[in-house]
Amino acid sequence: MKNTPGWQAIEQWLAAKELKPFAFQEEAWEHYLSGRSGLVNAPTGFGKTFSMFLGVLIRWMNEQPDYRHKTNSGLQLLWVTPLRALAKDIGRAMEEALHELHIPWKVGIRSGDTATHIREQQKKQMPEVLIITPESIHILLAQKEYPKRFAGLHTVVVDEWHELLGSKRGVLVELGLSRLRGLHGERLQTWGISATIGNLEEALEVLMGQSVHEKAIVRAEVKKEIAVHCILPDEIEKYPWAGHMGLKLLHKVLPVIQNSRTTLLFTNTRGQSEIWYQQILKQCPELAGAIALHHGSIDAELRIWVEEALHTGTLKLVVCTSSLDLGVDFRPVDTVIQVGSPKGVARFLQRAGRSGHQPDAVSNIWFLPTHSLELVEAAALKDAMKINFIESRMPVVLAFDVLLQYLMTLGVSDGFNADEIWKEVTSTFCYRDLLPEEWQWILAFLTTGGEALHSYDEFRKLHLVGDQYHCVSKQQALRHRLHIGTIVSDAMLKVRFMTGGFIGLIEEYFISRLSPGDTFSLSGQNLEYVMIKDMTVIVRKSKSRKSIVPSWNGGRMPLSANLGMMLRRKFHEAMSGAAREEEVLILQPLFELQQALSHIPLEDELLMEQIETKDGYHLFVYPFEGRLVHEVMATLLAWRISQRHPISFSIAMNDYGFELLSDQPIPVDDTNAQELFSSEKLTEDLQASVNATEMARRKFRDIAVIAGLIFQGFPGKHKANRHLQSSASLLFNVFHDYDPQNILLRQAFNEAFFYQMEEARLRDTMERIYRNKIVITFPQRLTPFCFPIKVDSLREQLTSEKLEDRIKKMIVW
Amino acid sequence: MEDISFEWREQHWRLSAGRAVYWEEEQTLIVADLHVGKSAHFRKAGIAVPANIVQEDLYRLQQLITKYHPTRIIVVGDMFHSSANNDVVYFKLWRQQFPHIPFLLITGNHDILAPDLYDELDIRLQDTLSLRNIFFVHDAADTPSTLDNQYVFSGHIHPGVRLVGYGKQSLRLPCFYFGPDTAVLPAFSHFTGTYSLEPEPSSAVFVIAEKKVFRV
Repeated sequence: MKNTPGWQAIEQWLAAKELKPFAFQEEAWEHYLSGRSGLVNAPTGFGKTFSMFLGVLIRWMNEQPDYRHKTNSGLQLLWVTPLRALAKDIGRAMEEALHELHIPWKVGIRSGDTATHIREQQKKQMPEVLIITPESIHILLAQKEYPKRFAGLHTVVVDEWHELLGSKRGVLVELGLSRLRGLHGERLQTWGISATIGNLEEALEVLMGQSVHEKAIVRAEVKKEIAVHCILPDEIEKYPWAGHMGLKLLHKVLPVIQNSRTTLLFTNTRGQSEIWYQQILKQCPELAGAIALHHGSIDAELRIWVEEALHTGTLKLVVCTSSLDLGVDFRPVDTVIQVGSPKGVARFLQRAGRSGHQPDAVSNIWFLPTHSLELVEAAALKDAMKINFIESRMPVVLAFDVLLQYLMTLGVSDGFNADEIWKEVTSTFCYRDLLPEEWQWILAFLTTGGEALHSYDEFRKLHLVGDQYHCVSKQQALRHRLHIGTIVSDAMLKVRFMTGGFIGLIEEYFISRLSPGDTFSLSGQNLEYVMIKDMTVIVRKSKSRKSIVPSWNGGRMPLSANLGMMLRRKFHEAMSGAAREEEVLILQPLFELQQALSHIPLEDELLMEQIETKDGYHLFVYPFEGRLVHEVMATLLAWRISQRHPISFSIAMNDYGFELLSDQPIPVDDTNAQELFSSEKLTEDLQASVNATEMARRKFRDIAVIAGLIFQGFPGKHKANRHLQSSASLLFNVFHDYDPQNILLRQAFNEAFFYQMEEARLRDTMERIYRNKIVITFPQRLTPFCFPIKVDSLREQLTSEKLEDRIKKMIVW
Repeated sequence: MEDISFEWREQHWRLSAGRAVYWEEEQTLIVADLHVGKSAHFRKAGIAVPANIVQEDLYRLQQLITKYHPTRIIVVGDMFHSSANNDVVYFKLWRQQFPHIPFLLITGNHDILAPDLYDELDIRLQDTLSLRNIFFVHDAADTPSTLDNQYVFSGHIHPGVRLVGYGKQSLRLPCFYFGPDTAVLPAFSHFTGTYSLEPEPSSAVFVIAEKKVFRV
């Protein structure tokens, strides 16, 4: 293979730059040239793009001896990327290689940002390489005669597959691939590129579906040295027990920034990044001009400017969120600061890896705890990194909402044959367990609106003509095309100055609570809210010093199962006095206080604290299993207690434990506590408890949008659709009351429950606790353990009291 | 569907859990925001909401009529959700059961059917209405400033209220709201959301909890 002309050409081209291919690149090329599909596991910055792209070029040069003169060859390679922002950089690198290798291929980009005239050009003549987002694949599938456009395609590469896997955008990729395989058969080669995750084999399986293609996994053995530093408070006694801002340690961060060339400071939420940005500027006005803000709600142009400035090294500090987790490397960055828990080992590693990109350079990351107990997480992270304990990404299964969207997409283009598409859809990982009756339900939902055909019903979405399902309504087709790919559902409004000039995006929910004249901050500026017009928030600059920082929803990340497990181990070490890390040792006074007020649970003990405060009667439970498990477990316990006698609960949780709060004493004591963790009737009780809370309703929000039940409108035109407006919550009620068998409701319940965790894992945890010794204490005041839970405001409710009885105890707020 | 008697502005009202008010002195049933045709409108646009909502809403109205035997029905706006569709045809059939009861519609922002269609449905339209000391208008914000000593009955906002209790309990329920100058009726249709209002001092608020009404 190495003697083929293509391979030789590549080797010579690299040699001219005094480069040699990495071993994993050669391995990938060999697999690719042998016709295999597979997965390349490599971190950013080590030539992962070329591990696939050059392989495709070698093949082309081998197959086309006069490749230097062959133009307009049609689409050869589809390169799928999760981020629009990445497309440009990848395209640039590809074009450079093509130019130097004298291959007259064109590289096109297709994303939501692509200009109309370029789209039209692409329609007439597809570029040889098309870089595309998952959503845009579906937009192409929604066009008439789309198979023509994919005619010569032989290779699909899905970049950053780990980012897509585990989300509904990954399902979009699976469905897109199933259609392309349907068009091209086994001729199509599929490759994924992924960072390290716990389930690489499964990641490959999801990508390939039931394709019988020969497969390979190529691993780049690149070890990166990472140095983790912890920013410790001087006096742990004075450091807050709860909170997520961490500003008290700002003064200790400044020297770190000053001693570094360029620093990325990661926060977990956009609101937090706004505050950090302003506070740093206040402390160090001399940084003005050398500090920037980067998060998902900031104007794309400004973000691009920040990224360019990071490349050129003109910035000293960028305060950012997960918006900078991905993407090309910024060489000048030598320091990363993580404010608050990163909630996962993989994310922490990824962020650390954003610094120190020169080969052999060490990645430096500083961990800044936002409350005392978070220090234990720092120690847990270090341990997890040592043993390379990286999270898995659980693939999404049976996403009926995405399937509904996809079938409509095919319906608005050339129509589809149900048998053919059923075969393709069930060949994907996501829908391999789809039942024929579910498929029939979905077809009925699109053709008759889920009802038996009434003569007076006017529902029309897809029509069956011959053996093809089509959408005949131009209006509905247009609406669907605009809707494709709406996977993120928060209604976002643009923010613009009165005089013009786009600033960013903000959630409608936040704005709805403001009155004209109020000041809020976005993109590091203080803005006065003037009015909303045509889906745009009009603002002017404000001189006010006080401003409200928007809280964008969705900022709250749950602790991963892996980190949860390491954390539990660390806590037990700390509590048994076995810990040796300074960040744990410094917590000693806190643990002593916990012991004095209540108890420190040993490894085989479960601690429960019953405390009465002015808010009511609290029961705190500490399984140390992470927020997701706690949410399900708290709901289950509340349900089981509520079955004994009528009682209402408000439920809160964090990564260490959970709280049940009631207006009456909670009947849990030594005699009945253990039974609450029984695995008997577990499945039924779980189902009932999830149904008894708002969990499913919250999940339904996304589902309703993706399935096309909520039309979000488009700028300037939203008024015409005023009569079609409804909220997901209202639709949830309506389905719940009038169509309880609706499959989308079932999906909401499943997502509320199964996405949180697998039942098997909960069962294990319950059994472990069931065997544990349960220690119940009655502290006179709040303990260091319970305090962070109690102050949490995100609460779930569960009740077995009669509505009437509850109302009688309440007052109008 | 239980109701609760309430004396307010020298008149006697019965507030029904069926989301309607019966005015004893005038033997009049008052409802607001029926939004007939909403589900058909959605379905026509390809949004598959359940089709039977209108039947259930109108069945409830029928039950209220047979319970109170009103001599007149006042709809305080948004009787129909949008343009004509088959739910409106269904309403026309339903309407024939009560040919002797006049329907009076105080027009709301959603009432955009063609004028002759209202004639066909035997519905009389009016922008506003004065009856004894009560003034009816769909959106209270459109109340004329010249009103003397009349109390306003309105709809439009689909009022709800948030209740809180000890132990961080909270609930959001649709309500009848009687403010100092204006009453706001709950939306009749179940295919409507609620808007949480903040009660003014000296107002009376009644929440609808399943089949009962409670003063809070």
